[in-house]
Order: sequence, then C-alpha cells, then structure tokens
Amino acid sequence: MDEATPPPDAAAVETSQLARPESRSLQRAADVMVPVPFSELFMIAVRQERAGSLDEANRLLSYMLSVAPTQPDALHMSGIVAFRQGRQEEAVAKIERAIANGVDIALYLRNICEVYRTLNRLDDAVAAAKRAVSLAPSDPLCLHNLAVIHYERVEIDESIDCAERALLMSPDLPGAHFARAEALLIKGDWAQGWEEYEWRFRIADAAKLMPTTDKPQWDGKPFDDGVLLLVADQGFGDVIQFSRYIPWVLERCPDVAIACSPEMVPVLRHFLPENRIFFRWESCPPYKAFAALSGLPRLHGTRVDTMLAPIPYLRADPARVATWTERLRRLAPRSHRKVGIVWAGRPTHNNDRRRSSKLADFAPLAALPGVALVSLQKGPSADQAGGYFGRAPLINIGAEVRDYNDTMALLECLDLVVTVDTSVGHLAAAMGKPVWILLATSPDWRWLLQREDSPWYPTVRLFRQTVPRQWSDVFQRVAAALKEGEDSAPHKKPL
Amino acid sequence: MPPAESSRHLMPLVERAVTAHRQGATETAERLCLDVLELAPDRPGALTVLYQIRKDQGNHTAAEALIRRVVSLDPNNFAATNEFALLLLGKGAIQEAEVQARNAVRIAPQNPQAHNLMGMILTEAQRPPVGEFHYRKVIELSGNRDPILLANLAWNLKNQGRMEEGRTLYQESVAAAPDIRQTLLGWARLEEADRKFEAAGEILDKMEAKWPNDPGLLLSRAVLLGRMKRYDDALAVLDDMAKQASNGRLGPNELAEKGRLLDQMGRYDDAFAAFEEGKKLSRELSGNAYLDGAAENLLNRLGGFFTAGRLQTLPRASVRTDVPQPIFVLGFPRSGTTLMEQTLSAHPRIVAGDELPLINDLTGLMPRMLNSPLGYPEALAELWMGDQRAGLDNLRDYYLQKVAQMGILTPEAAWFTDKMPLNETHLGLIALLFPDAPLIHVIRHPLDIMVSAISNHFTHGFFCASALETAAKHYVRVMDLVQKYRAEMALRYLPVRYEDMVTDQEATVRSVLDFVGEPFDPKCLQFHENQRYARTASYAQVTERLYDRSRFRYRHYRKHLEPVIPILQSHIERLGYTVE
Repeated sequence: MDEATPPPDAAAVETSQLARPESRSLQRAADVMVPVPFSELFMIAVRQERAGSLDEANRLLSYMLSVAPTQPDALHMSGIVAFRQGRQEEAVAKIERAIANGVDIALYLRNICEVYRTLNRLDDAVAAAKRAVSLAPSDPLCLHNLAVIHYERVEIDESIDCAERALLMSPDLPGAHFARAEALLIKGDWAQGWEEYEWRFRIADAAKLMPTTDKPQWDGKPFDDGVLLLVADQGFGDVIQFSRYIPWVLERCPDVAIACSPEMVPVLRHFLPENRIFFRWESCPPYKAFAALSGLPRLHGTRVDTMLAPIPYLRADPARVATWTERLRRLAPRSHRKVGIVWAGRPTHNNDRRRSSKLADFAPLAALPGVALVSLQKGPSADQAGGYFGRAPLINIGAEVRDYNDTMALLECLDLVVTVDTSVGHLAAAMGKPVWILLATSPDWRWLLQREDSPWYPTVRLFRQTVPRQWSDVFQRVAAALKEGEDSAPHKKPL
Repeated sequence: MPPAESSRHLMPLVERAVTAHRQGATETAERLCLDVLELAPDRPGALTVLYQIRKDQGNHTAAEALIRRVVSLDPNNFAATNEFALLLLGKGAIQEAEVQARNAVRIAPQNPQAHNLMGMILTEAQRPPVGEFHYRKVIELSGNRDPILLANLAWNLKNQGRMEEGRTLYQESVAAAPDIRQTLLGWARLEEADRKFEAAGEILDKMEAKWPNDPGLLLSRAVLLGRMKRYDDALAVLDDMAKQASNGRLGPNELAEKGRLLDQMGRYDDAFAAFEEGKKLSRELSGNAYLDGAAENLLNRLGGFFTAGRLQTLPRASVRTDVPQPIFVLGFPRSGTTLMEQTLSAHPRIVAGDELPLINDLTGLMPRMLNSPLGYPEALAELWMGDQRAGLDNLRDYYLQKVAQMGILTPEAAWFTDKMPLNETHLGLIALLFPDAPLIHVIRHPLDIMVSAISNHFTHGFFCASALETAAKHYVRVMDLVQKYRAEMALRYLPVRYEDMVTDQEATVRSVLDFVGEPFDPKCLQFHENQRYARTASYAQVTERLYDRSRFRYRHYRKHLEPVIPILQSHIERLGYTVE
C-alpha cells in the first residue's frame, strides 16, 4: 500500500534550471576534444540524472571533467550526481569548485546549501542560501531553501519569514507552505499550522496518500450514512500518535474503516475490529469520504492547551506480558533496572540523519552500575548490538521481537525506555510508560521548542541536543538523570 | 580372524616374516610382508609386522595407515586396537584415541590394559575423574599396584587438584620403583604446581644425580627456577641444554620457556626471537599449521545458520532445576579466562569445571543424536521434525551427565564454570542448550592476546596459534562470528575486560556476580588463595595476587606485532582499545 511519507523538509536540490550549456568554455572544449559537442553531452548527462541513471550520468560527467576539469556546469552537475549517490564530501568539493570557476550563479549556491545542510555545515549552508537569495531575489526556491536551513538552525521566525516571502512570489509553492507549516507547528501556532500542513500531499515526489478518488476529503462533520475511510499515513510513530483520534472520529462517524500497513494492526485493533482494518486498497469497502490520520488534529481543532491525551490508549496483551516477563527474567540480572533503548529510526526517513544516534552513544548509560540495557532496536541498525562491549549488560531482545504486540508486552516489563525519536517512543508514551525521548536540535514539529515535557504524552521526558548532531552531552544528561533516579514517572520495582 | 581361503597358502610367508622380524632381520621381514601384501592386501599378520617395521623406522604416517587398516579389518583385534589407541594418543589425536580406547574396553572389559588406555586418554582429554575410574579398575583387575600405574593415577589426581592424594601415590610408586624418570618428573611437577618449590627441587636434585643431562629434568628445573624468580639461573639451565643437544638447539617447549624467562627479564627482543623460533620448530616437528579452510568453512556455516529468522522457529532446551547450571566463561585462549574462573570459583556456590570439552564433543555427536544425515550445525534442522522436538533436551542432558561424571560438582554448588577457550564459536548452540546460562566473555586487548598466543603452545582454534598471523586471522573470524550471534540472538551475555579485572577488581567482580545472580563474596577478591589447581597454562599467574604486568604487555612487542596490526586494527577500535 502506498503510504504517504512525510513530505521532504529538505529543500530541493534543483537541477531543472541548469545554467548555460552553451557557455563558451564548454563550446571550446567540445570543439577541440570530442566529436560530440560538449553541450550535447552535457544535456545527455542531465537527462540521465533526471531519469535516475546516476551511474551513466556520472560516467559522462567524469569524461567531460577529464577533458575540461574546471568547467563549472559539469562540476556542478557532477556534484549533484555525487550528492544523490551519497558521496556528500565529493559533492561539496565539486560544487565549491563550480562556484569558484563560475560567476555568481544562484543555482549553484541554492544547491550547495542543501549539501552543506546534509553535512551539518549549517553556517556554510545559511551563508550560501543567503547569497543565492541576494543573487536571485525573485527566485522563491532560494527562499524556500533558506527557510529550511533556518528551521534546522532553530531560527523559527526567520524560517517563517523566508517561507512567507517565497509564497508572496509563488503562492502555490507546496514546499514553502510545508516549511511554513512545520515552523508554525513547532512554534505552537497550531491554528495556522494545521492548515498549512495540508500542503504536505502536494509536494513534488511526496508519496500519494491513496489512489485517485472522486470521494471528498472528510470535513469533520458527523455523518452516519456511509463509511469513512481513514488512511493510516506517514510513519508508524505518526499512526500511533494520531490513532488517539479514532474514538473521536467514531463519535461522529460510526462506520469507520482504516487502510494501513499490516504492522499497525496491534495498534489499530485497540480502536476498531480487525475486520474494519484493511491492507490493500482493493479490499477496502466503498466509502463516502476519506481522511488521513495525520489530518485529524486539524479537524479536531487541537491546540497545545486542548490536547486530546487519553493516556494510556494502548495496552499490552497480558498473556504476552507474562511470556516476555519470564524471558527477560531469565536474560537480565534481576537486581538491575531494565532500560529499554532504541538508537536509530528507519534509515529511509528523510530526517534520519538528524534523529538517529548510534549504540555507542549510549556509553554513559552503559557505564552505570545496576542498569541493564534492553535493546528494542529493529532494522539494519540492530546489528550494532553485536559490537557492544559496554559494562552494563545489553539484552538484544529486539532479535526476538516479531511485531508491535511483542514490543508493547516488552515495554510493560521495563522500568524506563530511552529512545531517539522513533515509533517505540510513541508506543511507550501511548501506553503511559516512562519514556525519555532524545531529540535533535531541530526536532520534528510535534515536540515543540525548548520544553522537557510533551502535551501529547504526559509520561514523556524530552532531552534535546544543544549542538546540532552531537549526542554526547545529551547522553551525559540522560545518564546523570538515570543515576539520580530522576525518572519522570513513579518508579517500578525491578522485575 | 582366520585367513581367507584364497590366501591361505601365504600363511607360511607371514610366519617367516614374523620370525624374521622377531630375530631382527628387518629387511627380510619387510620384503616378505610386501610380497604377501602384493598378493593379499588384507593379510592382518603381514600388515601388523609391516606396521612395526614402519613405526621403528619413524615413518609415522605409513605406520598409522597400516595399523588403522588392521583395526578396520578386524575390529575385535585387541592388540591392534591398543596399539592404534596409543599411537593416536602419542600424536595428540585425543578424540580419535578415545574412540579406540572405548573399543578396547568393549572387546576386553576385564583386560587391565584396556582400562589403562581409558585412564591415560581420559586424563589427557581433561576428564580426569573418568580416567581415575579406569585407573582404579586396572588396580582392581590386575590385583597389584604397579608403580607406573600408580604414577599415572597420581598425575591424574594432580590434574584434579587432589595434590595430597597424588603425592601419597607418587611416594608409594617411587618407593616401589625409585628409578623411573617419568614418575619423578611428574612428582616434581606436582610439587611445583602445589607451590612446594623446595620439595620439587629435591626431587629434581635426585634425578640429576642419576640422569644429569635429561632434557625433561632440565626443562622442569628451568620452569621451577623461573617460578622462584631465579631467571638467570633458569636461563643458564636452558643454555646448557642447548649446548648438550646434538643440533645445538632447544625444542619448542624449551624455547617457549626461554622466551617467557627473557620476557620476565625485560629482554623483549630476545624473548620474541625465542618464541618465534619455538613456533617454527613446533610447526616443523608436528606438521600442525592453521586449518584455514576448515575454520573458514565451519565459521561461515555457523554464521549462515544462526539467523534471527531461523532461531525464531527453533525450540530451546528446557532448563533443568535439579542440577547445578553452567556458567560459560568465553574467550580466546590466554585472554584471562582462567583468572575469571578462579575468581568465580572462589564463591561458595560456584565450582570450577575448567576446560570442558563437552560442547565440542556435542558438535560431533549431534548428527548421530539427532539422527541427521547432516553435520553440525545443519543437523539442528532435525529439531523441526516431530520426533526430534526434544532433541536439545537430550543434548543438554548428555552435557550435564558428563559434567556429573567428572566429579566437579559439590553439594552446595548452584553453578559450575566451563571455560573451554573459543566456546564462543558455538554461542548459538550453547544458547539453544542452556538459554539461561550466563555467558561471560573475557575481552582483552587483541595485541596482548597475540603476545600470549606467540609465547604459548596451544592447539585450540584449528591450530591457529602455530603462527602469529594465523592467530590474528582466527581471532578476527571468531570475533566477527560472535558479533553476528549477538546481533541475531537475545543472549545472556556479559563482556568483561581483563584490564578491568586487574585495575578495578572489586567493581568488576561485583558486576559479574550480579549478572550471574549471586551475592558478592569477598573471597572472590582473594582468588589467589583459592586452593583449587588451575590446570591450564595460566596456573602460575592465577596463584599470585592480581598484577597488571600482563596488561598492555604488547607495548614491549610493538614492532614485532606490526604484521598483525592491520589484521586486528578494526577489532582493536571496536573494542575501544588503541595501539600505543
């Protein structure tokens, strides 16, 4: 099932407005060196890049640069290809050379700022973006990119200002609307923020919410003469977070079906019978209207101080809890506090660079006596458990976890969960378990700014980075809090 | 076994060969045997005589092939089975020797020599309590107390840490036969291991009066002097040995001892040269080199078999609550596992099991016990069969039964340790058999482990320690496999750094006992007072107070270790160490 992934908060690296293939240096090199004119070769490379044939584009551009090593467009384009292939340092080097050899080309600057941002060179990013804006003051994409960088630098007002200036020039620019939405939401201005947030499905390359339909999007008004189809969109954490609204929806529309990934059944069956949960579009019943789960806060009119927080709204299956209690009793020292940990999210998430840490970052916790770390990590990063040699025992229970039913049961057995911003954090919080969530300097909008608590979840305690992408002081604070027994919830007795 | 009718006419030739061999006419005997075997390759008499000839000629490969053939042609031939078992024992093929010794007992259960074989082999196979049973059976069956047998039993008891009983038997043996070299050497080793240096010295003095240049005596003397910290004297003994040797060179064991003495004296370059020479000589003499392909094959198969997905479908053995449970002390040879075991076994509820060969035995027995056409680990696929669901319980019980037979358990013991090095290779199997068992993995700077590997002879790990590079290669393979196991399984696993044991002893011991689930006992900090005798090469160290001379010892050998640093670098970093 297509799941609408969160629209990219990243500014687009734009290649559609490539500069001047007819430039003289290109022409000269082409005349001298190759039978096919350079400009044509270049356009072929551009087409290959756009078609996603990055290896082929890279091959052509490498050839061109071997002939004309300082040609700015080829350098720039080659840098873009390197960026898309994950060779970020090479991308920066090439685009910087393009900038050095070119003459005030806003496109180069607009693109390099995104590469800088990826590499966490935020000062360079903002400088490049500002220079791009000054070179092309009428280009809304330059302002959009600047808005995204300001967000990452937690300069929220500046971000909103840039997004709004971009929208003045181009009122239907989805990326700028979304940048504004995120900034408004993180700032707590949810009235305006929810409206802007609706633009998320219109961003180019964003996954479609659902197959094209002639049915209307639900407006929040009650009806009882048809099915309301909810779509469990975005990531698993979003589904867990926004599933709290399903009872509110049922009060208005008694006949609700939901389309979701199969993994979400253990969560959604808390609200709907399993025969109203669908994994394939063709199996969904005919419906009168639809709504994205992530759109329900807007329809509900949620504000920071009117949060719908019926915690706990998820509960573990007692039989599974008994099984996992026994399993954990056998694996972990009985005298130890059992701290569940998750160090990384789904690597394909567009914010994963910022939100994920490494198991090695948990070293300050691993040095604490009387603590057993219980890894709930799934996915490719779970391999890191094999290379852990800290003092605290690490129980890699994630290897035995099959689904969210298991995860919920395990969470019931733990004294605390310490996690980066992943679905496990939402799950523990929705169960009312004590959970410490570790956030990037510029976190997802839902965690708001500065505060250590969350209106969404009363048992959550937030630990924020003070320096972008540096986790060391965060984990030091977490370890200190753990050592001092500063658990945010009444402490459970050890198992 | 009667000869086949078709070759009966060759009998006179065989008889002539036997007679010729008995009379010392070796060439005639050899020619006659070859003639007979040319016509009838399965004539046991000719094969046996030819075996004797080849053995006397020092052609061990041919001798082994011949006696193996005799036994396979006539599995009830006691004399040949006995001979074959002794030959296998002599070359260190303990597992195969045990198979033959057991056959000998099956053929002749009332024959003292059959039980003597079992006694010798099981003592060497690190199952001395079972060996003791068979030695005592020899005494019962023979009705006399043969001095050599008593000495063998004494050595067995020494290996069980029963020093006083062993000493008494040595005294009895020597009283009956005062001039048996091996008996005196064994007794001296017992006294030295029991820290009775003076007594050991006196025995060696007596030996010296009779056999002044005996190599065994001289090596024992050097070891004893080394333990007494008289390094110069010890070195002088070894130098004299070299001068007396026909080729002017020391053997592998003597070179290793020389290296250790030089190391103690701070002469690191000389020490490393001695270690290297010893390894080289050992390779030449034994023919043992790292079994690279076999190691790669097994470790790859283990890594490929134990995946999270497959493990979710495999059963686990249930946990017995009626017998003490194992604590697995894991680690590369010489990584500090003996220190860990001595520490743990100082606790009143934990007894030392030492290096139990049982997990390895189970990997060999598994296909038969699970009725599988496949080898280990693939044979575990039988657990999916309805009639093999309890297969792991059977394997577990085999292990526990053998432990009980070894006599290591005490009434108050809740746990026993199994510190067989490189058991971590079989972490997956161990976790299936003993899902509750604590797995204590002793971690140490890989370069320190390499120094230990070069300075000691051990055969674990496919003979990886026959050279420095192969020790490093095997270390990397095993650690990679451990990493994979840990990523794929929820294990009750605790890594413990040797360095922490040395520098932060109490905190480390507390955390380990906490992990095991036992209360702290201060006796564990005084492990050197643990009267238990640790049989492995570390015994001299673990009977001393904790010292940190062995910590980061590699720094003395930095330049010598240069070839293996690139092999180990990523693991050094992963473990949080640096190279200084």
